[in-house]
Amino acid sequence: MDLWQLLLTLAVAGSSDAFSGSEDSSGKPKFTKCRSPELETFSCHWTDGVRHGLKSPGSVQLFYIRRSTQEWTQEWKECPDYVSAGENSCYFNSSYTSIWIPYCIKLTSNGGTVDQKCFSVEEIVQPDPPIGLNWTLLNISLTGIHADIQVRWEPPPNADVQKGWIVLEYELQYKEVNETQWKMMDPVLSTSVPVYSLRLDKEYEVRVRSRQRNSEKYGEFSEVLYVTLPQMSPLACEEDFQFPWFLIIILGIFGLTVILFLFIFSKQQRIKMLILPPVPVPKIKGIDPDLLKEGKLEEVNTILAVHDNYKPEFYNDDSWVEFIELDIDDPDEKTEGSDTDRLLSNDHQKSLNILGAKDDDSGRTSCYEPDILETDFNASDMCDGTSEVAQPQRLKGEADLLCLDQKNQKDSSSSNATPATQQPSVILAEENKPRPLLIGGTESTHQAAHTQLSNPSSLANIDFYAQVSDITPAGSVVLSPGQKNKTGISQCDMHPEVVSLCQANFIMDNAYFCEADAKKCIPVAPHVEVESRVEPSFNQEDIYITTESLTTTAGRSGTAERASSSEMPVPDYTSIHIVQSPQGLVLNATALPLPDKEFLSSCGYVSTDQLNKIMP
Amino acid sequence: MDKKRSSLKAGSLLLLLLLVSDLLLCKSVASLPICPSGAVNCQVSLRELFDRAVILSHYIHNLSSEMFNEFDKRYAQGRGFVTKAINSCHTSSLSTPEDKEQAQQIHHEDLLNLILRVLRSWNDPLYHLVSEVRGMQEAPEAILSKAIEIEEQNRRLLEGMEKIVGQVQPGIKENEVYSVWSGLPSLQMADEDSRLFAFYNLLHCLRRDSHKIDNYLKLLKCRIVYDSNC
Repeated sequence: MDLWQLLLTLAVAGSSDAFSGSEDSSGKPKFTKCRSPELETFSCHWTDGVRHGLKSPGSVQLFYIRRSTQEWTQEWKECPDYVSAGENSCYFNSSYTSIWIPYCIKLTSNGGTVDQKCFSVEEIVQPDPPIGLNWTLLNISLTGIHADIQVRWEPPPNADVQKGWIVLEYELQYKEVNETQWKMMDPVLSTSVPVYSLRLDKEYEVRVRSRQRNSEKYGEFSEVLYVTLPQMSPLACEEDFQFPWFLIIILGIFGLTVILFLFIFSKQQRIKMLILPPVPVPKIKGIDPDLLKEGKLEEVNTILAVHDNYKPEFYNDDSWVEFIELDIDDPDEKTEGSDTDRLLSNDHQKSLNILGAKDDDSGRTSCYEPDILETDFNASDMCDGTSEVAQPQRLKGEADLLCLDQKNQKDSSSSNATPATQQPSVILAEENKPRPLLIGGTESTHQAAHTQLSNPSSLANIDFYAQVSDITPAGSVVLSPGQKNKTGISQCDMHPEVVSLCQANFIMDNAYFCEADAKKCIPVAPHVEVESRVEPSFNQEDIYITTESLTTTAGRSGTAERASSSEMPVPDYTSIHIVQSPQGLVLNATALPLPDKEFLSSCGYVSTDQLNKIMP
Repeated sequence: MDKKRSSLKAGSLLLLLLLVSDLLLCKSVASLPICPSGAVNCQVSLRELFDRAVILSHYIHNLSSEMFNEFDKRYAQGRGFVTKAINSCHTSSLSTPEDKEQAQQIHHEDLLNLILRVLRSWNDPLYHLVSEVRGMQEAPEAILSKAIEIEEQNRRLLEGMEKIVGQVQPGIKENEVYSVWSGLPSLQMADEDSRLFAFYNLLHCLRRDSHKIDNYLKLLKCRIVYDSNC
């Protein structure tokens, strides 16, 4: 047996080269292929070598041997079936086939071994092609150009897939009829597969082949399946028409450019502003950009000087900058004349011309807005045009505010005073450092107030300006009680606790108290001389009408009437003469009669609404 | 408003509870590996067990084929290792069915036990294969990694098969029978040619046996789970 094994080894070794793919040039028969289609049978084929000279073809015989258990006990057996698999083939049916068993076959011709091969059956599995190919239409794309189909087939009939003896995987290939290259799809385990995106106007060929899973060798291809897709209407064929994209793009760009240039260079300012909005120039309140362009630096500085945030220190080094010196303690300035005179003078005209701002954002606005209570007092300063009068004005305002503060404090719990009004009072009180007219009505404030009152003439001479709350249809201006009657200062340092009696009565539309109201609250004024002073001042200067008067109770109004009758013979208001000036209002001296007594109150303030009623 | 809030709370709590229970359930059903040994009452359906076993056996056979091909390409060319006819595998002593009729006639319990035996027989050789491949000169990374992977998967497949056997044949515990592998000395021979031939032989046997197990399992799956109608 060992010898036999050795012989076999030698024979196999000798013939191994023949199986590495060398060409047969000697004309000997040799094995071409051994194949098992279903892992149950197998067959081997060989070529009959071309022979020149007809010798007897010789009986080519095939012998096989298979190893069972561990020993080569068997002898070479001859092929059981030379016919079933065709010519030059040997077919081994299932009884002769054992899987996972090594086989060796040899080809003999005239007794001499010409070829030999060893293998195991599971290594030579190549399934038959699938059968029963058919296809169904899945869907057609919206454009009517492409379609999807589902291709189905049956596994090869001899492969026992149902019992799981062999597991197959399939590969589908398709191509257009007139193409040469097949498109391959990935192997699938199922027997149907969708093919996407086939063109409707083309014909396709489909074929499938199978192989055992885990093997590398595929079986033969199935028969070709011809797929003829339904033809869609030729109208759907859009691809032939080439849209002239290029032309349209060029024309479009050209047209847009023409239009754009038209707009840019046209004189139509409106359209031009739509397309190319102007860049906003920097604006400073109260300054006209044209002014800056003209280069009149003096006026510019003047304007800038009245702004809060104007820091003159910056320009210390510049010689061309002039500063207006503020002399706070100079009493002479107070007697320079009324503001009205000044406003009506040429200076005013001059200032008007200079500061004829076209801008909406000029300093005018701050003069005219009653809402900005904070800036009211500042605005009043600005509106004056000169700072000389600013101080007494401010003082007056502060004093008023002081009065206001005190009263506000006392009535803070019940009053509806807007915080805005309180704030300016606080602010101004704080601003004025040399004059600590702070909340609380300290003695110093009393002192200050008294010093203020020491010069009634000064008070009388101090002009006031009004803040406009409304403009009547007739063109006259309704002034809101922005400034308290200066004579009211004297009353402010009265007994604060008395004011609390009046709390409930006051309905605060604005935060200002009229002195007359304050008077009611206060018992007999200890300062008689002040009162006497009050009266004439009321006569002359009590021009404001406040809303409080209207909302006071009947009782009060009764008293108010009495008071007013005694104190204010002719309350009236002043209409604005010139509204243009940002520096202030030039007030007319005209007084309107007040026919309705209800408007009369302790102080001469009347609200806008009431005023409208009066006015025609 | 309070009612709404409380109902919302309840709803969210319920949702959370559902989620947690879902997670737990999912974990218990689809957890891999199949119930760890020792968990007696692990309920995993037979179908899933077989599906997993087939996947593993298919994977092992793929790896074995690749490993053999790579070894053949790298070491066996020109050395004439075509003497497949002579060498035999150590598992040949196990009487396994050799064709379809025999496989169909055998009882599935016996077949399962046979599979178990074959798998057990390969535990030792695979372990030594890994260590020896490591020691090879210019140890090829591809072959080594595949060997390691096969060894691990083989162990998992063995676990799975034991589970299946436990479900199909509850209570019967056969003696652990398997073929002993005695090829270690040949793997460690000094002569390189002989050593390489021994490797070639082992890998060839491994490929064959993995194909056998894969086929048996697919057959059993179709028979047991799908009632011979795959």
